[in-house]
Amino acid sequence: MTDIRQERSGAIGHVEQRQSSRLTLLRLLLSNEFGLLVLIVLFALIFSTVSPAFLSKFSLYALGRTAAVNIMIGFSMMVVILTGGLNLSVGAIGVSAAMFGGLLMEAFGLPWPLAIAGGLAMGAALGALNGVIIVRSGLHSFIITLATMSIFFGVMIFLTRAESYRDISPVFTGFGRMKLFAIVSPLLIVSVLVAVLLSVLFRYTALGREMLATGANERAAELSGIRVNRMITYCHMLSGILAGVAGVMLVSRTGAAIPSMAGQLGQDWLLPAFLGPVLGGTLLTGGRVSVLGTFLGSFLVTMLTTGLLLMQVGAFWVQTYLGLLLLLAVLLDLFRRSYLTRRKLI
Amino acid sequence: MNQTVFHAEGVTKTFPGVTALEDVRLTLSKGSIHALLGENGAGKSTLIKVITGVHRPDSGHLTLNGSAFEPSGPRDAIGHGIGVVHQERNLIPRFSIGENIFLEGLSAHPLKRIDYKKLFSDAREWLDLLGVDADPSMPVDRLSVAKIQLVEIAKALSLNSRILLLDEPTASLTPHETDTLFAILRRLRDDGVSLMFVSHKLEEVQEICDQVTVLRDGRNACESRTLEGLDRQAIVRLMIGRSEQIPDWSARDRSTGDAALQLKDVSTSLGHKQIDLTVHKGEIVGLYGLVGAGRSELAKAIMGKFAMTGGSVLVKGKQVDIRSVADAVGRYRIGYVSEDRKSEGLVLMHSVLENVGMPIWRRLAGFAHLLTNRTVRRHTEPFIRKLEVRTPSLEQHVGNLSGGNQQKVSVAKWLAAEVEILIVDEPSVGIDIKTKAYLHELIRELSDNGTALLLITSDMPEMITLADHIVVMNDYRVMGEIDNTRDYDTMSERIMALIQGEETVAAGV
Repeated sequence: MTDIRQERSGAIGHVEQRQSSRLTLLRLLLSNEFGLLVLIVLFALIFSTVSPAFLSKFSLYALGRTAAVNIMIGFSMMVVILTGGLNLSVGAIGVSAAMFGGLLMEAFGLPWPLAIAGGLAMGAALGALNGVIIVRSGLHSFIITLATMSIFFGVMIFLTRAESYRDISPVFTGFGRMKLFAIVSPLLIVSVLVAVLLSVLFRYTALGREMLATGANERAAELSGIRVNRMITYCHMLSGILAGVAGVMLVSRTGAAIPSMAGQLGQDWLLPAFLGPVLGGTLLTGGRVSVLGTFLGSFLVTMLTTGLLLMQVGAFWVQTYLGLLLLLAVLLDLFRRSYLTRRKLI
Repeated sequence: MNQTVFHAEGVTKTFPGVTALEDVRLTLSKGSIHALLGENGAGKSTLIKVITGVHRPDSGHLTLNGSAFEPSGPRDAIGHGIGVVHQERNLIPRFSIGENIFLEGLSAHPLKRIDYKKLFSDAREWLDLLGVDADPSMPVDRLSVAKIQLVEIAKALSLNSRILLLDEPTASLTPHETDTLFAILRRLRDDGVSLMFVSHKLEEVQEICDQVTVLRDGRNACESRTLEGLDRQAIVRLMIGRSEQIPDWSARDRSTGDAALQLKDVSTSLGHKQIDLTVHKGEIVGLYGLVGAGRSELAKAIMGKFAMTGGSVLVKGKQVDIRSVADAVGRYRIGYVSEDRKSEGLVLMHSVLENVGMPIWRRLAGFAHLLTNRTVRRHTEPFIRKLEVRTPSLEQHVGNLSGGNQQKVSVAKWLAAEVEILIVDEPSVGIDIKTKAYLHELIRELSDNGTALLLITSDMPEMITLADHIVVMNDYRVMGEIDNTRDYDTMSERIMALIQGEETVAAGV
């Protein structure tokens, strides 16, 4: 009897090791991140063959700069999706944060780092407000953020009288136009940094783990002593900050804080916001994220948009393709997941 | 009587890394009740899934009424008259009883108007047959668990099932409801239906089954033999390869130690009134009552999930105000092993390591909340090993483990958290005998080491095995309390008397 017991407790980590190395490879090849990398390389080849301009220095630079913003937008949605919710007000918050930063610079003459911090604080506040309302009311984030999207945007338009702030610090706008090694935008480096920070958050901190546990099973998390309401609020706050970063990046790139920079109600951001995380394998029901996946997903989306525009496909077709891509991604993921489940690989 | 209806021969089914079934045989006869027994992970569920067409066997063959049977899927199996009542509830809560029973038929014609009058009168017939006293137009979510179970059976029968597989149908039933169910099963048997009955309660198996197949580690330990001449010990030996050890523990008195948890005249927002309860250090206090007596709810109120509206709570002699579960866990070191481990106890989609570490992440985290897996592993692995959790690795998703191992994980979590007060709610629901005995030893050992335990269970033998002192609840009130003499017959009588409210005065609350 004792022998059996020892054998069994020894089973942790030994028995299936040989088999697992083969499975690990299969799992890696079937992972979202790997699939995205393959797609990115594939489309890069296609675009560069069809239109040589795609690989020009400026084109690559512009691609990275645009991708940087889309990646931040994707992250902003990702951190809310992980709670099993969503945040329709990403665009509205991003623009509001950017406008507040612009206001601080132009009307109050604050130095740009302080103004940026102020803008991000605004993002955090609006996000936290979303979180508090959701947690207190117990309603789904869909309906709450739909409402706050309108409210935030409406109030912002009213307060700014729909006018832009163009008196932006040249140092700051220089940052958005700077080229490192002729092709890399500093904005992309900011996105990479944020990606690293988010990875650390979800992998190596108690806070990130508690957020994920809350998203995966709120009741179990609560009964394990996790303050779930606080976690949900934090996630929305983080979403607000990340949306703010995206908004501020746009200001740095265009040299002005413009109320319409994310379209009416900020809805131009919605498609990229969902595409990145969904392509990247973030579970819509919550509890699981892939920071790298979102990064690659958002990058792929940006590349497709840029490439299609270079091929002079009409802008409306680009929207159509992106929509189709979203649908395809979800369906593909469904098949991939059911395959993995059937083979008991996840 | 001995006419073979269904036969499985040499069934083998492997999954990557696991051989779930190996060369398994099984024969179901017409008009008999067949017990399928085995520990968790022995292959019972896989066998059921093979029979119902969810899994296709790697080798071996099935025959149904003498001809080869290769179900292409669950629907095909249903079409061939094989019905199954799963452990998990599979009804749609807001739909009526009638709609649920005939759901399969309803979905056949998307545009056809549903004739509710006929639907309900047809449903009525099935309900009458099963002796269920309920209006077919009533939504299922307003029924008791027992009636829901019967509605599931009605649904399976309405599909002309001649073979009915029941997966732990009595797990959440009271003794009385179980008796009713058994009367119905016997009648179905006499009508020529072949039933297969999966249960962990051997008393029930001996009471109702004619034949038995025991699986151990995916193989037949015995195959379709009669239950005659097979006593409880013999069955247990077949299941686990050794006989059951009934612990010969002596009664002990722990009420002289320091009080770890005291409730004084507590009332809650859920309706508890005048609850008085004391758990001493090193003591196991049992909280007995029927389902719905408010025991789990009281546990959750103690944990700070629901608000107390009156009275006082003392932890180690000091009055406390527990506002949230985080408070209870972090500050007062109270843990709660939920009865509903799938939705409240565990995060199924996360790993073993993450589940066990959940309550202590915050405590372990260092500067800027930083925390590595290695730290978590160091503080949790000893407990995971101690409990002999069978898992290929700590990264395995808990959802992939068997029920018994899941329960071990949800207990390991609180051991790792080093709680001083542990509330254990129905620790052995859906758990095999060996794990159950093991958990009992563990609970006893915990109390010997000074943990104060509050044990909630509806399993009377379990209660009498473990508790030092028993508090009986009914209808959100304490009916009385008694010291456990560990004499089953007198104790169970006194407990039942307390529930009926006959001994309230004598117990001297």
